[in-house]
Amino acid sequence: MRTMEHAVVVENVTKKYKLFKRTSERLLDMILPGGYGEDFYALRNVSFTADKGDVIGIIGVNGSGKSTLSNIIAGILPPTSGSVKIDGQASLIAISSGLNNQLTGRENIELKCLMLGFNKQQIRAMEPEIIEFADVGKFIDQPVKTYSSGMKSRLGFAISVHIDPDVLIIDEALSVGDQTFADKCLDKMNEFKQRGKTIFFISHSIGQVKSFCEKALWLEYGEVRGYGKIADIVPQYEKFLKEYRAMSDKEKRQYKERVMRKQRGEALEAAKAAAK
Amino acid sequence: MRSAVTVLIEHIRNLYLIRRLSLFELKSDNSGHYLGILWEIINPMIQIGIYWFVFGYGIRRSHPVEQVPFILWMLAGMTVWFFVNQATLQASKSVYTRIRMVAQMNFPISVIPTYVITAKFYQHLILLAIVFIIFQFTPFHVSVYLIQLPYYMFGLLALLVSFSLITSTLATVVRDVQMVVQSFMRILLYLTPLLWDPSHLPHLVQVIMRINPLFYIVEGYRSALLGTSWYLVDHAAYTVYFWIVVILFFVFGSAVHLKFRAHFVDYM
Repeated sequence: MRTMEHAVVVENVTKKYKLFKRTSERLLDMILPGGYGEDFYALRNVSFTADKGDVIGIIGVNGSGKSTLSNIIAGILPPTSGSVKIDGQASLIAISSGLNNQLTGRENIELKCLMLGFNKQQIRAMEPEIIEFADVGKFIDQPVKTYSSGMKSRLGFAISVHIDPDVLIIDEALSVGDQTFADKCLDKMNEFKQRGKTIFFISHSIGQVKSFCEKALWLEYGEVRGYGKIADIVPQYEKFLKEYRAMSDKEKRQYKERVMRKQRGEALEAAKAAAK
Repeated sequence: MRSAVTVLIEHIRNLYLIRRLSLFELKSDNSGHYLGILWEIINPMIQIGIYWFVFGYGIRRSHPVEQVPFILWMLAGMTVWFFVNQATLQASKSVYTRIRMVAQMNFPISVIPTYVITAKFYQHLILLAIVFIIFQFTPFHVSVYLIQLPYYMFGLLALLVSFSLITSTLATVVRDVQMVVQSFMRILLYLTPLLWDPSHLPHLVQVIMRINPLFYIVEGYRSALLGTSWYLVDHAAYTVYFWIVVILFFVFGSAVHLKFRAHFVDYM
């Protein structure tokens, strides 16, 4: 049964960064066999599976690893360990969608599509639709530097959805642009949903997540705190937020310290030691 | 060796991509100026003028170099230099300045320096055409020797692509490499027979100077444009040496490129 296949399988994905106080430490890290510098785990042992047609909201407070995860699913960042299996092509839509300011909108469409690995014929076929969706009028033949921020995000969004990805990752991209455009985007995403594509939706707006997604993935300091139906996860998350807001400054500080320690990997090493 | 084959295949498969991206590169380089691409001609001409004044008129007192007027001798060489200098500097920083544009893991990153070099190559062709036209008004007009020119162009492109495969990778991992490349290029201007003629130096010094593969290309361009000799045949051993250097650069460049490529984004 093809429809039951997993679209995205994320297994034990860990993303480790090194924190350096000075640039010379970065050099030491490269030279020394054991490495150098403080570890920072942006993601730790993240595992989940998404099926075709799933619309998953990724929620979590600032710095919980939402953007890192979306970049890894999109294949832009390589994970430090673990694996990501995607059935088809993934496309990330972010506010800064990497347009070249010197070139016109039309040229940017071609450039971006070339960068994504499309050939001449495919690009020629996609171009009119993208231009129509972006709805920037005469500006399509003007350099992108003259665009308003709304026009830029419209063009970026138009390109990303028209390359017809199998997995779509939307990182806060709907927060710019006016209501008409947001509606247009939601329509497009609903169309994707009906066609059985997998969508990851990252937003700070719980309202948007609730209305649009069916599942939620709650990240906390780089780990999966909960994954399941919206109705199960979001109330827990809201409860956590309420508790967090209610904490005194001292408690907040303690909480943050605990999180920092965890992200430095101490707990992980302790777990490793326990396993031995 | 296997990595060199991988990079070579990537280049062959993506020739259309290289061509299109280089045209966009050319366009975004020159937008915003009223004279646009003309600046790619005006700037070199101004520099050649001042170099001629200092080295030709001032230091050499307008003595010809082996019967070739100094200005023509210099013009033939400097045409190569402007391309080499621009292409190397731009290509070395090409990967770390453009990696953000690459939104897909399977994008052939190895073609980035190549398309940047190709963009500069168009400018080189224009400058070369102008120099060629100038030469038609001198005793050194077109001759049968000109047919070697495409060979030197190909050699030069191969050298630049191989060399910048190394520098672009290293500059992404350690940004300081870009600075090293910059100083290196400044030195190279004087260690290549561009502004002064080293033929009166002791033999040993001349041999050492020929370690620089650019020496070969510059002398080759000159022999083709001025119609003085079949340089690649007359210096067959040097031709062999040149291609060995190019291949070594390419093999080493491909190896380091592939070793670091998966983690280029982590160095941002």
